[in-house]
Amino acid sequence: MAEVKMRSVSFPQYAEYSCAFKYIVEQALGCKYVVPPALTKRTMELGTKYSPDFVCTPFKTILGSMIEALEAGADTLLMTHGLCRLGYYGELAEQILRDLGYQFDFINLSDYDMSKKKEYIRIVRRFNPKVNYARFLVQFMEGLRMVEYVDEITCEYYKNCGFDPSGGGYKRAYQDFLTAMRTAQSRADVEAGYRAAKRELQSIPLDKPQRPLRVGVVGEFYTVMDAFSNLELEQKLADMGVEVHRWMNVTNQFLRYGSGQKNLKVKIQDLCQYDMGPTSTANIWYARECAERGYDGLVHIKSAACTPEIDVMPVLQNISADYKIPVLYLTYDAQTSDVGLMTRLEAFYDMIHMRKKVL
Amino acid sequence: MEKQIITIGLPRAMLYYRYRTLWRVFFQELGMETVVSAPTDREILERGTALAIDEACLSLKIYLGHVAALVGKCDYILAPRVSNFGRHRSFCTRFEALPDLVRNVFRGEKQKWLSYEVDEEMKRAGEEDALVELGRSLGCSAKAAKRAYKAAKKAELAEHKARVQKQEQLCRREGMKVLIAAHSYVAEDPYMGRAVTDYLKRSGVIPLRADLTDRDGALKHSRELSPTCKWELNREILGGIALRRGEVDGIILLSAFPCGPDAMVNELITRRVKGVPMLNLVLDSQSGTAGVETRLESFIDIIRFQEGKL
Repeated sequence: MAEVKMRSVSFPQYAEYSCAFKYIVEQALGCKYVVPPALTKRTMELGTKYSPDFVCTPFKTILGSMIEALEAGADTLLMTHGLCRLGYYGELAEQILRDLGYQFDFINLSDYDMSKKKEYIRIVRRFNPKVNYARFLVQFMEGLRMVEYVDEITCEYYKNCGFDPSGGGYKRAYQDFLTAMRTAQSRADVEAGYRAAKRELQSIPLDKPQRPLRVGVVGEFYTVMDAFSNLELEQKLADMGVEVHRWMNVTNQFLRYGSGQKNLKVKIQDLCQYDMGPTSTANIWYARECAERGYDGLVHIKSAACTPEIDVMPVLQNISADYKIPVLYLTYDAQTSDVGLMTRLEAFYDMIHMRKKVL
Repeated sequence: MEKQIITIGLPRAMLYYRYRTLWRVFFQELGMETVVSAPTDREILERGTALAIDEACLSLKIYLGHVAALVGKCDYILAPRVSNFGRHRSFCTRFEALPDLVRNVFRGEKQKWLSYEVDEEMKRAGEEDALVELGRSLGCSAKAAKRAYKAAKKAELAEHKARVQKQEQLCRREGMKVLIAAHSYVAEDPYMGRAVTDYLKRSGVIPLRADLTDRDGALKHSRELSPTCKWELNREILGGIALRRGEVDGIILLSAFPCGPDAMVNELITRRVKGVPMLNLVLDSQSGTAGVETRLESFIDIIRFQEGKL
């Protein structure tokens, strides 16, 4: 029997999670992972060129990232299912790439009925028919642990990095942590990287005022987390001297869903009765939470034409009116420039800064 | 003392075009009255546009205009949450958001709302159970609500069947036929698709509707064109195209700007359906029909030219 060739798998670039995808694909599934090149202007140009006009922007980003991953040597692409248009990304992206002439194997989770446990085994076997399930499970869980660490450290980083007097020490520690995660090959590596980062971040004394400006960030799942797609909004805000808080990440949205989000609904019953979209409940809950905690402002991030987040906006407007909390609504498309965002952020910062002095 | 009759407002937009018979008969059977907003006009569109977030689709803007026209004129306004009929049979997330959307947009008004939830994938909540529950919340017995639903569903299916048969007759007629692939609320709205069908008829072309086909057959055939298509309404259109593509002279993909599902599915259709002239027409709120007519005219000319009739 012919030896099965080892797959070179890739998943589009997404926030800081490539390290976890890499860990799971290489350690748990026993395939090679092709890390897609960092997102650049070229990625967007490629994606925009071949995408339909008014599809949501993450589709364009992902399509561009897939093309770059194929150029980098991937032979298998993975695409996820999803509750909004995301669930249709796979089929359309595959068709566009095939029409362009690319040859690859495509594993589209929308093809599988993800409510059935058997399907997961089928998916795993497609990656590697000889996979050892016991080992797979253990290492898959380690990959998820890495996701949790990434989210925890990222959260801590944006909360504090604006108050680092050491001139970049904080940022360096964060970058070192991400490098450690990207190169981790075992559980020991992951744990060591995490502990080192925790130690490093906590050892830097912060120069934070008693009542710093605090801003909550809510929004659409992809753009709110991906620093390239939101033009490093969190870093920009933090650099002005703001504590940036964001609840939305993979850990909170998925890994803790069972215990968390169903009960989030309870607190927003007066604002909305049902789930308005895949991330609406969490976003509305967190926006109100920030308002109740007395944060100085909210930023709502979405990509152009993101249907569920457009529908959340009237609720946010009501929260804004009820709690007198300013909300900056930002829509990102493929052409959004850095300068335009900076102008709006500066104005927003000046406004919340002045309010804080007056109130 | 005479009992006051409950009036239920039905905004003439979005899913009204699919469920008008179901809703009308259901509430009538329960001894209630339904009030439907007037057909879309300039004022409704402008009011809706002012109420909606700028980036929302034209269909939602029109919907909000219709809701605004009903506010204060009936006891309840119906805004259901129709999420899905199962896996790969979802609706656009906008239909999930509608009940909460209208409650938040019209928060300042003292209007009472009615909604029911259809979500078979996550909550196993089917249409029948949802409507029976709704009937009970209005003070009817479960038995009466069930009977009303049965009668309403029968009437809805009979009406749909009659419309499908009419399409079959049209299809057998001689002459140039063009298939309109659009959601019912786009195709039938006077401010959106009506201008297209009217113009086609005036030009001697027979307009056929992709979504007016046998629904079960359409669902099955839609898999040939797109196996993982998520949306029920687009599946019906896909199925209609798969069934009729051999019988028509052209296809018009008609959508409201910027319709989320259509943006993706129509792209896929243009890539997978070959050999039929196709026009991708996106409608936005415009004050005249001249622009649309020019494009339709040239599309018809191209078809006639290709068939050697020009």
